[in-house]
Amino acid sequence: MIINNIIRNNSLFIKGFLISGFLSLFMLVSNFGFSQTAEDEKNFQVCKACHTIGGGKLVGPDLLGVNEKRDEAWLISFIQNSTAMIEAGDPIAIEVFNENNKIPMPPNALTDDQVRGLLLYIASGGKIEGGELTASPETENVEDMDLKTAEETTKLIAEMKRDGQRNMSYVFIVLAILFLISLFDLVIIKIVKAKWIHYIIMLTSVVIIGEIVFVEATGLGRQQYYQPDQPVWFSHKVHADQNQIDCKYCHFTADRSMHAGIPPVATCMNCHAQVKEGKKTGTKEIAKIHAAFENNEPIEWVKVYNLPDHVYFNHAQHVNVGKVDCAQCHGEVEKMDEIIQIPDLSMGWCIECHRTESVQFTTNKFYDQYTKLHEKLKKGEMPNVTVQNIGGDECAKCHY
Amino acid sequence: MEKLYWQSLDDYKEQKSNSVIDKKDATPEFSIEGLDESEVKGQSSRRDFLKLLGFSVSAVALVSSCQMPVRKAIPLLNQPDDMIPGVANYYASTFFDGKDYCSILVKTRESRPIKIEGNDMSPLTKGGTNARVQASVLNLYDDARLKNPSIAGAKATWDAIDKEVIERLTKLNEDGKKVVLLTSTIISPSSRALIEEFITVYPNVEWITYDPVSFAAMRKANELNFGTSLIPSYSFDKANVIVGFNADYLGNWLMPVTFSKQYSVNRKVIQDNPKMSRSYQFESLMSLTGANADFRVGIRPSDEAAILLNLYNEIAKSTGMSVYNAPKTNIDISKVAKELLSNKGKSLVVSGTDDINIQLIVNAINTALGNYGYTIDINTPVNLMQGDDEAMDNLVKEMNTGTIGGIIINNSNPVYDYSNSKGFITGLKKVGTSISTSDIMDETALECEFVCPDNNYLESWNDAEPVKGHFSIMQPTIQPIFNTRQFQDNLLIWMGNSDDFETYMESKWRQRLVDVSNFNSSWNSIKHDGVYQIKNEIADQPEFIGQSLMAKKALDKGIELVLYENIGMGIGKYANNPWLQELPDPITTATWDNYLCISPAYAESNDLKLEDIVSINGIEIPVLVQPGQPDGTAALAIGYGRTAAGKAGNNVGVNAFGLINGSTIDIKKIDGKTYPLALTQMHHDMEERPIARETTLAKFIKDPASGNELHAYDEKHNVTLYNKIKYDGLHWGMSIDLSSCTGCGNCVIACQAENNVAVIGKEQVKNRRIMHWMRIDRYYSRDEVNPEVFHMPVMCQHCDNAPCENVCPVAATNHSTEGLNQMAYNRCIGTRYCINNCPYKVRRFNWFEFTNNNNFDYNMNSELGKMVLNPDVIVRQRGVVEKCSMCVQRIQEGKLVAKMENRELKEGDIKMSCEQSCPTNAIQFGNLLNEDSVVKKETKNPRMYHLLEGLHTLPSTSYLTKIKNT
Repeated sequence: MIINNIIRNNSLFIKGFLISGFLSLFMLVSNFGFSQTAEDEKNFQVCKACHTIGGGKLVGPDLLGVNEKRDEAWLISFIQNSTAMIEAGDPIAIEVFNENNKIPMPPNALTDDQVRGLLLYIASGGKIEGGELTASPETENVEDMDLKTAEETTKLIAEMKRDGQRNMSYVFIVLAILFLISLFDLVIIKIVKAKWIHYIIMLTSVVIIGEIVFVEATGLGRQQYYQPDQPVWFSHKVHADQNQIDCKYCHFTADRSMHAGIPPVATCMNCHAQVKEGKKTGTKEIAKIHAAFENNEPIEWVKVYNLPDHVYFNHAQHVNVGKVDCAQCHGEVEKMDEIIQIPDLSMGWCIECHRTESVQFTTNKFYDQYTKLHEKLKKGEMPNVTVQNIGGDECAKCHY
Repeated sequence: MEKLYWQSLDDYKEQKSNSVIDKKDATPEFSIEGLDESEVKGQSSRRDFLKLLGFSVSAVALVSSCQMPVRKAIPLLNQPDDMIPGVANYYASTFFDGKDYCSILVKTRESRPIKIEGNDMSPLTKGGTNARVQASVLNLYDDARLKNPSIAGAKATWDAIDKEVIERLTKLNEDGKKVVLLTSTIISPSSRALIEEFITVYPNVEWITYDPVSFAAMRKANELNFGTSLIPSYSFDKANVIVGFNADYLGNWLMPVTFSKQYSVNRKVIQDNPKMSRSYQFESLMSLTGANADFRVGIRPSDEAAILLNLYNEIAKSTGMSVYNAPKTNIDISKVAKELLSNKGKSLVVSGTDDINIQLIVNAINTALGNYGYTIDINTPVNLMQGDDEAMDNLVKEMNTGTIGGIIINNSNPVYDYSNSKGFITGLKKVGTSISTSDIMDETALECEFVCPDNNYLESWNDAEPVKGHFSIMQPTIQPIFNTRQFQDNLLIWMGNSDDFETYMESKWRQRLVDVSNFNSSWNSIKHDGVYQIKNEIADQPEFIGQSLMAKKALDKGIELVLYENIGMGIGKYANNPWLQELPDPITTATWDNYLCISPAYAESNDLKLEDIVSINGIEIPVLVQPGQPDGTAALAIGYGRTAAGKAGNNVGVNAFGLINGSTIDIKKIDGKTYPLALTQMHHDMEERPIARETTLAKFIKDPASGNELHAYDEKHNVTLYNKIKYDGLHWGMSIDLSSCTGCGNCVIACQAENNVAVIGKEQVKNRRIMHWMRIDRYYSRDEVNPEVFHMPVMCQHCDNAPCENVCPVAATNHSTEGLNQMAYNRCIGTRYCINNCPYKVRRFNWFEFTNNNNFDYNMNSELGKMVLNPDVIVRQRGVVEKCSMCVQRIQEGKLVAKMENRELKEGDIKMSCEQSCPTNAIQFGNLLNEDSVVKKETKNPRMYHLLEGLHTLPSTSYLTKIKNT
């Protein structure tokens, strides 16, 4: 019997949820927040990773008095997308960038009003107007939401696992026994006289056993829902969801290279030089990054998404050229603490997408040379040009 | 067909006797040598069955209980800006090994060099390389490389070595005892300056340059004729008539890559203006240059001077120069003389013989023809080949008398390649302090006390000035893999200079560059380009000082020995490079051995045949009957018979350095003994079909389609049941100009390096299992005494009606919308139907697992050797068929870059590995749907034909007929 045991080490995953839940509860009791509004308080959670209000410089500058220092319009656009301003050559933005060790502030998807609220919150020094000291029920909500999403994610993944991982070993064994009994009866003891019963039982069990073997054999070497222990308990949820860090801030070669790139420790240190304590794991996990950096020993992450050696896959082709969203293959990473492999990475899965997804046929000038396809498109003979239409399902696109 | 082509002497004899090839004694598809009895009979016993049964049961059990291995992703601690994992970086650098010079680009992936490309910014090599340059990247990952320095065979630290060496050098200096610095030719101006500085610190040091192949006679002749000891630079591109005497300028003579580029300029025939240079080659063996020459004449080595003097006299008569007494020869040179005279200033006569009389005559002829200042330039001398034979001979004498206190040997292996090796060894034992800087424990290093392993050239800083005014930079592309140190750094430390060589070199360049204010940016741009040129002042050629010329009468009896370098091994420095060992010689198609080439007439009269063993001067060696080998000569390649090169190179062939070039030898047949030679000549035989097509310039002018008449016939008569494939956007194609191709084998190695092609060893080559994705077919025509040679690169033709595709039972090979005949290795089940059905025999079967297999102990069986593998190309496993993919990884990369830059693909964006570094630009690749592409234009060329077009396979690869200027 083929044992489908490719998912290992999910104990820490669960542990992670437990720890995070426990920590959140602890914080609920101990942490009283003061907020302008609940929303501002919540939005500021993201900023808190790198900024304080009057608590001194962390990764980014202390925000105390920032409202007086810069005008509002500048602040709004800087908070929304600082990199764009630096690239556009804004002198103040560049100065700030240089003062802070050239660590860019990730862009924030906030509306102008949200930013204004945030600025008010900062101006108040993290207190509501009037300085009234009240326990904030909204904070509770935030932590609640945290827990809720954690539960949701666990549920989501459990569902996915249930769908993908059927355990047919009992069926297999029962059918095998049935088959043997019928055979035994048919040839030797001959209790049941009607031979067609034997034949039906035997045929059915052979077909079902065959199907099980086929499915299991196809799954050999695939690692759907693979979630190994990582050397550092790194949470994508904390980074990508709570702190809203863009995927490509860490995986910065995804649009340039075949590898999305595991971030070098130096990239972690951009923020973690200052952020030495996490909400969920305290200093324990972050200390590992510091140790790696100081001892010159790179962190040996366990690779989750593994393609066989005979497959060539290029991130730049998909992310940069095809404009495929990361989540399309990697799932809702921002809801996961430790990464779990969502697709089975089978060839059928790849081809399925190549058959349906359309390429950037009219926007990318490369495709101008496909004159016949352009004509068909113009005449309306085809609704769109899929990857398959330009040879995306051919062997030598991925195997060479 | 007018011309009959043959591949071996047996072929030729059949043709002569019968002219109709019907019976071809069927040689087995693969040799059964080396197989055991049961394999030969194809039987399997009950035991085998049980073994198999047991194996498969346990394999299934193992597979089913296996877990997937845990794979690690280890990022860098600190990723440099210019290094992106998964994206290749190219660095300009320089290949120079003491003999060959080439400006190169080093392709690195994840900071390790994996491929050498030609640097097309170089005005000398113009993007070309040769096979040895291509293969040099594998030397970096050679297991034989020394990992640590050693003193008297024991591992030592650099500190200990430095302390001891400085102490000894100081002591020797105080005692006034001579220390010799023995190097091969050094063309680096910074290194030369450094050595001179070293000598000022240790005035007892004498610097001797030694090269195993000598150009001393040419330098001496030029000193007599022009007042300076030098080698002039040659311009083969400016010459209409080229006459070579034993100078293999397309293969190994002086600067073969540069000369091939120059030579090919005048070999490409344009239909509107059909012009071509004409080349004559007088030679004592069948060389690559001779194979490509329009007229080739076989001569005895002892006859060369007399022929040259007769040629000189003929020319002198009409130019009014003094005529000398010349012995009569059988060769009629009046035609050559006439042609040379009508191309005064546009002709070139060269000789590769290391004989001062010959070089003086050559100089006199070129002077009489007024070639100096046109095709030969004395004012921009070539700095290569500075070896001083006299000084070397003196050194050995002095060492044996005990007057030498110390010796530092750099990049030189005289114990192996010096003619008086024994004398050198006994002398070396009398030298108190011997230091070798060899990167492997070679024959000489074994005899030395201190071994200070040098870096590989890909780990080193250096510069080069191969030709006056042409500079070139060597920069490291990887940190030293082992505990090695560059030779120049040794000198700096030993002379008490705290700088490293990079700083030292930079300071020298600071002096050279005029614009010092902007030094950093100009220095960076020089390092980026890899080359830098200083315009030489235009000056008149120095005045010619005539010398009296003389020539002895040729020997008319006995066999004269000719020593030569072959294309793969050269002087034997890279004997441990399995790629080069397995590169079939372009002429003999032999691999993994050297052999004595004898003439067919001699073989007949002495009852010798291929693989018989003979003894010459006590050396036993197999015989190869070489068509075109002149009577009265026998040729033997140097560069073999290494004893301390490494596991792949040890004891391959015999060492010929102890023999004397041009000496008379006795050949004694050893009866009853044979030695197998692994020739690829008869593999993949295409029978006698019209594959090789050629014409002459005169016929071409009359009818551009001459020699290619069959093409029109086939086009007209071909019918097919298949629908013609309609392409949209991209249809890749290749065009090969047979007129340009010299057959040098560079593309074979370039392909091997790019596509992770396995080395399989001599035994399996003999079994006809060579894995090369592209091969150079060699056909002879005319007679066996002086045949014409035809070279033809053959790789997968990517047919539109591919016969291989429709016989594959699992559709592992099929056609892409871009015209590629693609091969999915993972789907292949190894039926080999496709191999049988391929008319071009370009498919290869993996008979064995070539990785991690001790039976194939080459680079793919070593962790270090595997570093050279191209990560974009899979390593094929046992049991699958593989073949040329038209570098699909390069196509995909080129397309991706264009997409990322949001533009259409341009001609030249994508270059095949074989095309990129071709020294004659014979191979072109492009999009057949692009009307402006070279490949598309060539399809309309009347010279264009496809291989076996009668089969209507519609290949995407086309050939252009070879044109000879006869």
